[in-house]
Amino acid sequence: MTVKLKDATVASATGGVPPRRSRNRRPPWEEPPTPLGLFGKGVVLVLLVAAVLVPLWAVLVTSLASRETIDAAGGMVMVPREIDPSAYLTIFNGGQITRAVWISTLVTVLGTTVSLALTVLAAYGLSRPGSVGHRGLLFFFLLTFLIFPGLVPSYLVVTGLGLKDSIWSLILPSAISVFNLVVIRAFFMNVPGELLDSARIDGAGEFRILTRIMLPLSKAVIAVVGLFYAVGYWNAYFNSVLYIDDNDKFPIQRVLQSYILAGQSPNVSGAAVSLPGVTAYPPTLAVKMAVVVVTVVPALIVYPFVQRHFTKGVITGAVKG
Amino acid sequence: MKPSLPGASTDRRTLLRMIGLGAAATVGGSTLAGCSKEAGSKGTATKGDAIREVLPTHRPAELLKADIPGEGPIPQGYLSYPRQLVDAVTEQPGKGGGPIRTMSPWWGPTPPTLGSNSYLAAVNAKLGVEVNPSLQDGTTYADKLNAMLGARDVPDLLMVPNWEVDKVARFSDATKALFEDLTEHLKGDAAAKYPYLAALPTGAWEYSVWGGRLYAVPYPTDGPFAWALFHRKDLLDRAGLAAPTSPEELYELGRKVTDPAKGVWAFGSIFDMVQQFYGCQQTWRKKPGGGLEHKFENPAFKAALEFTAKLFKDGLVHPDTVASKGADEKQLFKAGKILMFQDGLGAWQGLQGEQSKVLPSFNMQPLPVFGVHGGQPVIWGSEKPVFFTFLKKGAGTDRVDELLRVLNWCAAPFGSREFELREYGAEGRHFTRGGDGSPVPSDLGRKELGGQYNFCRPAVKVTSGDTPNYVQDYLGYYRKNITLMEKDLFAGIKLELPANWSKVLQPTDDKIRDILRGRRPISDLDQVTKEFLATGGEEGRAFFAKALADNGR
Repeated sequence: MTVKLKDATVASATGGVPPRRSRNRRPPWEEPPTPLGLFGKGVVLVLLVAAVLVPLWAVLVTSLASRETIDAAGGMVMVPREIDPSAYLTIFNGGQITRAVWISTLVTVLGTTVSLALTVLAAYGLSRPGSVGHRGLLFFFLLTFLIFPGLVPSYLVVTGLGLKDSIWSLILPSAISVFNLVVIRAFFMNVPGELLDSARIDGAGEFRILTRIMLPLSKAVIAVVGLFYAVGYWNAYFNSVLYIDDNDKFPIQRVLQSYILAGQSPNVSGAAVSLPGVTAYPPTLAVKMAVVVVTVVPALIVYPFVQRHFTKGVITGAVKG
Repeated sequence: MKPSLPGASTDRRTLLRMIGLGAAATVGGSTLAGCSKEAGSKGTATKGDAIREVLPTHRPAELLKADIPGEGPIPQGYLSYPRQLVDAVTEQPGKGGGPIRTMSPWWGPTPPTLGSNSYLAAVNAKLGVEVNPSLQDGTTYADKLNAMLGARDVPDLLMVPNWEVDKVARFSDATKALFEDLTEHLKGDAAAKYPYLAALPTGAWEYSVWGGRLYAVPYPTDGPFAWALFHRKDLLDRAGLAAPTSPEELYELGRKVTDPAKGVWAFGSIFDMVQQFYGCQQTWRKKPGGGLEHKFENPAFKAALEFTAKLFKDGLVHPDTVASKGADEKQLFKAGKILMFQDGLGAWQGLQGEQSKVLPSFNMQPLPVFGVHGGQPVIWGSEKPVFFTFLKKGAGTDRVDELLRVLNWCAAPFGSREFELREYGAEGRHFTRGGDGSPVPSDLGRKELGGQYNFCRPAVKVTSGDTPNYVQDYLGYYRKNITLMEKDLFAGIKLELPANWSKVLQPTDDKIRDILRGRRPISDLDQVTKEFLATGGEEGRAFFAKALADNGR
């Protein structure tokens, strides 16, 4: 679509305005685009867009297809024949998906809030040259890039804190991402010291400086980091494998996994027997795809709103690391 | 002991194994630790003879005479559902102990939990003790186990699939530290106290011994064969084609039915079955002159590889399979896009039942096994139980007794009220009776049942309305071919494999996969074998040979 638009503007530019002027608009070292070049670009862009949209389209169409259509297609459906909402009725009927969506929403909202608060506070502290022990602390934070806590110690800490089967076990272990911390810190470092000094002269304390000066100036980066966190929490899966035993507290990704893999024998030798663990009534492909849609849609909805901050927020952080 | 899986993907774990990160791999948020053995582990083997002394004395418990009697690892077959059920357990298993926490693997959407699940309520009422099951995703079970065992945080009853045991580092140590030693409770005639546990096949118990002590209650296999080659008999019949009886006929059949224009190919993954037709062993076999021979060294393997690679080369294999894993071969098979693929026999009833609702003529059958050029085929398999159930250590004799009584209840055989309740739930709520008296699950039953009490069910095959011929076909295939089943050289010997051996398997499988798909020439097999032997194969050979020698086999 973008390509066509571009084509149109180019065409109208060359058609409606005297050719010489349009040529003059370009710098002398830049050749006017040849039709072949434009076509080539168009093809590449269409392919790229298709690579993203076609799978999504197939998922959506399959989720709304009837059993007969799916069987006729031998798998994913590309051409919609009818709209059959029964898959969606099934998943929202059982209660499990509805509950999982709520849990994931709660974890995402709560987690993003907690993460942003902690990250901003830490980043602000670490961005002030004079703050206590900031070099040591920063080094300590950066060390976690290189040294990982390991599975069993993490598990011991979480269970030791009594967080097992609590939604906090999905939030606290991943509350601060050091990468995001570094990005925000770099952004804060970039704010002129004079601005803060003048605030200080007016009697502002550190907290007021942070909330009244730093944060309003850093909206872009906060939005982007917030999105990173939110998407991270929404997509988080593995912590729930480890820490959530209670089947009623599974987040949506965990439920999605159980739907997608349902009915497939585990890929091992010796799985020749009828496994009692494999559900005898696997959900239909339409149901599986409906769960995928439910899982993917929130991210799709949120992205456009945050997108405008994206370039600014991330690039600022990136080059000032 | 793992056969090569031609369709296996290079997944996350494989990749790690390949680049040699192994146990130290904690990249990406510590998700991957412990998928492999401790580096440098030389492996251990339990002495086979010590095993026999600690096994329960086998006492068959048959409440109902089987229509097709079981035999060794072959389950009992029943062609109709009994009109009269009996009480198998007269005394309530619960003895006033606290709630029993359990954890089991599960591949599917999880049912509602205790408190909102009437099936659990019904079974717990019978048990007289509150069982609180937790069902965990089967595909990530090893990760979870690693964390739990490492942190010594285990539930009262823990179910572990046999293939996960190999993925947990130092599992033998874990059994000793974390799980109850059941030897004194179940050894010899002591097992008579739990009659339905004593009725489980000895072949299954043999595998439940670690370090010479009995540590687990087995969930016996109901089909010891590793694979079968399924074909769409309905489609072949319609085309007037007979089941092939030689590789040449198989190839010809492939040629005839493959029609890319219609989106139909003859084959999905079949390499493991082809190896068996060619008479190739699963991993090791004894050489006549002594010593062990790996299958790569067997000319039969090369012949099977050549044959299968030709199928790939000539375009008789479905492109999804060629493109490696991810191909949903069941779906392709159902839709008639492939006519033949290998799968566990366990997949049979589910597929047949599901698809015959959509397509009444649908008929999938395992291809009759044939040998090559007068040779004898070999069938891979073993009596290894599917799952082990471990009891948490240190609960005290009374509690162990209570837990074993619960397991005994869960093992009550077909024809009992206990079996029906455990398997289908309560009549009227979770199932209704069909015309033949057999239970038909209700929507509630489908929603609430999730194998929560399937710790050690006795193996049985029962005819059901949607698959009327299944039991005869299934047991017929087994009874016909059981004599061809390769003897497990290591049956009952608990092997904790050397790290280098475990590490070399996947990369080698991947190389074989490349040869199959024509990405490397067949002649590379010699090179692959050489690399395999050099980087762990020989170490494996020495280890397995020693295990056999130690046990006087």
